[in-house]
Amino acid sequence: MSAGKTRFVAGPIAAMLLTAVLTPWTLADSPVDRLIAQDNADKTDVTVAPVIDDMAFLRRATLDLIGRIPTSQEVNAYLAMPSGERRGKTVDRLLNDPRFADRWTVFFADMLRIRSNADGGTAELAYVNKAIADGKPYDELARELISANGRANKAPAVGFILGDNADPMALAGNVSQTFMGIRIACAQCHDHPFDDWEQKQFYGLAAYFGKTRRVESELAKTVYTTETREQRVQWPPERQKPKTREPVAPVFPFRLEDNYTGDKPPSHIARLIALRAKQERDRLASTKSKTDSLDALIDSAEPTLGSKPKTLDVAGESRQEARALNVEGDLYKASELRSELARLVTDPRNRYFSRSFVNRMWKELVGTGFIEPVDDFSDYNKPVHPKVMDWLADEFVASGYDLRSLIRTITATQAYQRGHLPAGLTEAKRREAHMAFTATPLRRMVSEVLYDCVVVAGHLEEQKWPAGANLKTITQRVRMVEMIDRTTGEATKVASGGPAGANLAMAGKPKMMAVSGGYDLESSIEVDFNAVLKKAMEADDGAPMLDKMKAMSPEQMEAMQMTGGDPTKRRRVTYKDVSIEVDDNPQYTSAMRMATPAQPSHFLRIFGQPARDQLGEKREYAPSMRQELLMLNGKLTHEASRVGILEPMYKLLDGPKPKVDDAIRLAYREILTREPSESEMSDAREIVAGEGKPLEGMADLRWALLNCHEFRYIP
Amino acid sequence: MSKSKPMACEGYRLTRRTMLGGMGASLLGMHVGKLAALAGTAHPATAEHVILFWCGGGMSHIDTWDPKPGRPTAGEFNPIKTSADGVQISEIFPKLARQMHHCALIRSIAGQNGDHGRATYQLQTSYQQGSTLLIHPGLGSVVAHECDRIGDLPAYITINGNAPRAGYLGQRCEAYFVGRPGVPDPYLAFPEGIQKTRGNKRLEILAKMNRRTEQQFGAEKLRAGSTAVEEAVNLMRSPALKAFEFDDIPAETIARYGDTDFGRGALLARRLVENGVRFVQVNRGGYDTHTNNFPAMETHGEIMDPALASLVEDLAASGRLDKTLIIMLSEFGRTPNINKDAGRDHHAKVFSCFMAGGGVKGGQVVGSSDEDGYSPKDRPVKVPDLHASVCHALGIDPNKEVDTPLDRPMKLVDGGTPVQELFG
Repeated sequence: MSAGKTRFVAGPIAAMLLTAVLTPWTLADSPVDRLIAQDNADKTDVTVAPVIDDMAFLRRATLDLIGRIPTSQEVNAYLAMPSGERRGKTVDRLLNDPRFADRWTVFFADMLRIRSNADGGTAELAYVNKAIADGKPYDELARELISANGRANKAPAVGFILGDNADPMALAGNVSQTFMGIRIACAQCHDHPFDDWEQKQFYGLAAYFGKTRRVESELAKTVYTTETREQRVQWPPERQKPKTREPVAPVFPFRLEDNYTGDKPPSHIARLIALRAKQERDRLASTKSKTDSLDALIDSAEPTLGSKPKTLDVAGESRQEARALNVEGDLYKASELRSELARLVTDPRNRYFSRSFVNRMWKELVGTGFIEPVDDFSDYNKPVHPKVMDWLADEFVASGYDLRSLIRTITATQAYQRGHLPAGLTEAKRREAHMAFTATPLRRMVSEVLYDCVVVAGHLEEQKWPAGANLKTITQRVRMVEMIDRTTGEATKVASGGPAGANLAMAGKPKMMAVSGGYDLESSIEVDFNAVLKKAMEADDGAPMLDKMKAMSPEQMEAMQMTGGDPTKRRRVTYKDVSIEVDDNPQYTSAMRMATPAQPSHFLRIFGQPARDQLGEKREYAPSMRQELLMLNGKLTHEASRVGILEPMYKLLDGPKPKVDDAIRLAYREILTREPSESEMSDAREIVAGEGKPLEGMADLRWALLNCHEFRYIP
Repeated sequence: MSKSKPMACEGYRLTRRTMLGGMGASLLGMHVGKLAALAGTAHPATAEHVILFWCGGGMSHIDTWDPKPGRPTAGEFNPIKTSADGVQISEIFPKLARQMHHCALIRSIAGQNGDHGRATYQLQTSYQQGSTLLIHPGLGSVVAHECDRIGDLPAYITINGNAPRAGYLGQRCEAYFVGRPGVPDPYLAFPEGIQKTRGNKRLEILAKMNRRTEQQFGAEKLRAGSTAVEEAVNLMRSPALKAFEFDDIPAETIARYGDTDFGRGALLARRLVENGVRFVQVNRGGYDTHTNNFPAMETHGEIMDPALASLVEDLAASGRLDKTLIIMLSEFGRTPNINKDAGRDHHAKVFSCFMAGGGVKGGQVVGSSDEDGYSPKDRPVKVPDLHASVCHALGIDPNKEVDTPLDRPMKLVDGGTPVQELFG
């Protein structure tokens, strides 16, 4: 976003080709850009923004791929590379960064509506994170999510089905909208009012889920899914109060493009078949034991021959049934109907599946989708640049549904690398250029990324103060709990009135809880995804489960605290102000590995993290007063602004001869990934000198840089 | 306590799920809104503000608002006379009893959900929880959506816990969260150690940087960002923020409300409505008394009584009670039968609700339950009727429709009818 460096070209589209020449790095000749140029050939006055410069590319790609800004070390390494190699090599490095999986887990968690507090949600989150880290093909991921069966600790993908309470109607709407971008959910109650879906078609889709049941086991303290014989989805709908209702036969309502079912499949499908065959040969050739991998477990959960389908008396649950949980072949038997649906959804001839995903990814990375909203493919909502979308979709199929290949393809295009439009254009002209992919709209960082960027820019992941540097005395209001004897009135002190019940899935420490001083909305408590999956693998049947292990509801737990379980006593809580000395040196971890979504008033939610409990819900990016209060006044920004004694910045400014200009350059590089302009430099000198002490003045400069528009919008 | 008892709670849920499961596919979307819509609804508002006390867990109706003296279900508490003629409440509320001429009770709410999650959902939103396709907004979000903001403070504030979500009404209608009533909110002032002059200087530096970016790109969203900063700074500088601070309140006032989270919450709620806040939700949990119901309710009474009594008294004294509707809600009541653990279990069939002010005629009881507090005896009130009544008081049309993310029109309230008797 640096001022005065960009050049804008308005005029015939031929000029677009020129812009590539103007940039220091010539882009690979992507078919995407050629197709876009063809589409735009008749648009004579669309505004074209040039491709961004190398530094902006580094920031944009680092934010997009691994969800944080580059460190100054990364900037130095980048600048040391020959200009022509920088972008491609950076993308390859980022695709292999451990943070890549964390950042794209956020994307998938939104899309799949993963909630850590839903049944199986924590395991599902960890499962998706591992799938991304391992490069699991997207079609395989989708098949596992749609067809998994059993308990979340053994089949973590089942969180997807449990997330909608195994409700056939919810799942039909969810699967079609999430994986195919088709909003058939309205047809649940009536024929779709603005589309061509009929209620009967919806019921046919729902019937694929009609034999799946969610079971809540008191004895085993767990929730799981299982398959029954009875088809629960029946026609006509009950609200029509029919005399009799018949089980509905599952019918896939979406068209597979099989006009090429002849001897020769189209080339992208042929490439997929060849790729999968090669992968299978390689797998067989490999002698590596896979017994400890999750995939092996899931593979082994394929339908077991001869296992008798079990009818479950859900209400009158018996001990026998709890024992039956041990019979893996039965419980983990994949649902035949859902396996069939998963095959149809992910069939390479189902173009909705690949189109829908590349559309989501394009929107995420370029800022404007081929179709918006991204989950509304319909004859009444036509895409822009359909050929581009189809080309990307077919390449995605041919790559074996590989997320990293798709990102590599998109980030290599001019469309991805274009800058933003300058001031002085009408909203209509802006919209036109964004939809022509000749300029990118301003995109604000997603909330988890913004949080992590403040942490990284402010050196808050590391120890930036020596022990004892921030000793202070704080006053805390603490609860004193007494038990009062109801007959004698005698009071007994008890140790604590704090909430009981720690979560097994929590690892790491709540780093700033002890000295929050009321700054309660910015904590980051890391969930150890590996431990979640490892515990899941090790858990014996009957052991406390990760998905649902509460013997008591939270409501009841609260009520129990009223009496401490003793009928002769009741509780009295009083408060006392206590002074304690603390070394207030908070460290923060990544917001991408927290239980998710955060609580409603948390930083992440205020900046738009969705609650993920309604279908079609999107992230919000609109600015709000509450966002500003958190950034202007929060502890996170404040601690990031302060210059820690152990930071490189400190050495530049401490002592009688501070190197102010170097320090300012470092601040701009660490926070905005660029050099300051001349006028910015002179402003900054004044700011740093302003407080008498350069370290304090630098804190002011850093505070402003962390709060400014440029920091939170992707260049 | 017994080991098996805790399951009763979840066991209930299981039974309910089973029942719903048996109803099969049609359980979704079967909710047909009442077509007998309220006529006209354009009537003058009787209230400007709402204070909602949310009692999480399911508060016993017999041990609070609907005593059953002499019956086997009466429990340990005696009824006491109140300042309202012929109205008796439980002895756990001695101070509040002297304010009951300002207050009204509904003793005939006919609930439908015995499960915490589903009941909380309906009591807070008026809608039955459907599938995962749609989230209905809580009552506070509806009010924030429909009523103009008064003054500088946010329109909707929740204290001591989270409020329901705004659902399809959007983030603008979410509650502002206050975790520690009486302790200044750190997010409403510059960070620790940053004095006002320095903080203001920082804001100027920031404004200059942002102007530069806005001039370069001229995008609407950047200007909206700067407006948000201005709004935040206006709030930080607002004299109304004094409402959050208890420093200037005499210690005896705080003691009169009871120096508890709940008492401080009630006191803060009063100060917030005095400063224009439209909807304040004060949360308290611990009502799920499956075991040892009576000592627990005694403790609740000790905490709730001074807070509620002082709130009603102070609002009445200042004349603000006329414009402020107080309503206390919980998921459901509790069983008339006392179980083997001296507890009461979930009971949705009938339960009660406490209200005061905002046009509600004081000293009355609407409806009644049967002699054991088991079912409604007369004038059954449906859950959405409560929401419609709150809307009625505020002059909001409960049948107004808003669009969901999937463009489905939804009414603000799920077909309730205002309880006209309340308003005299």
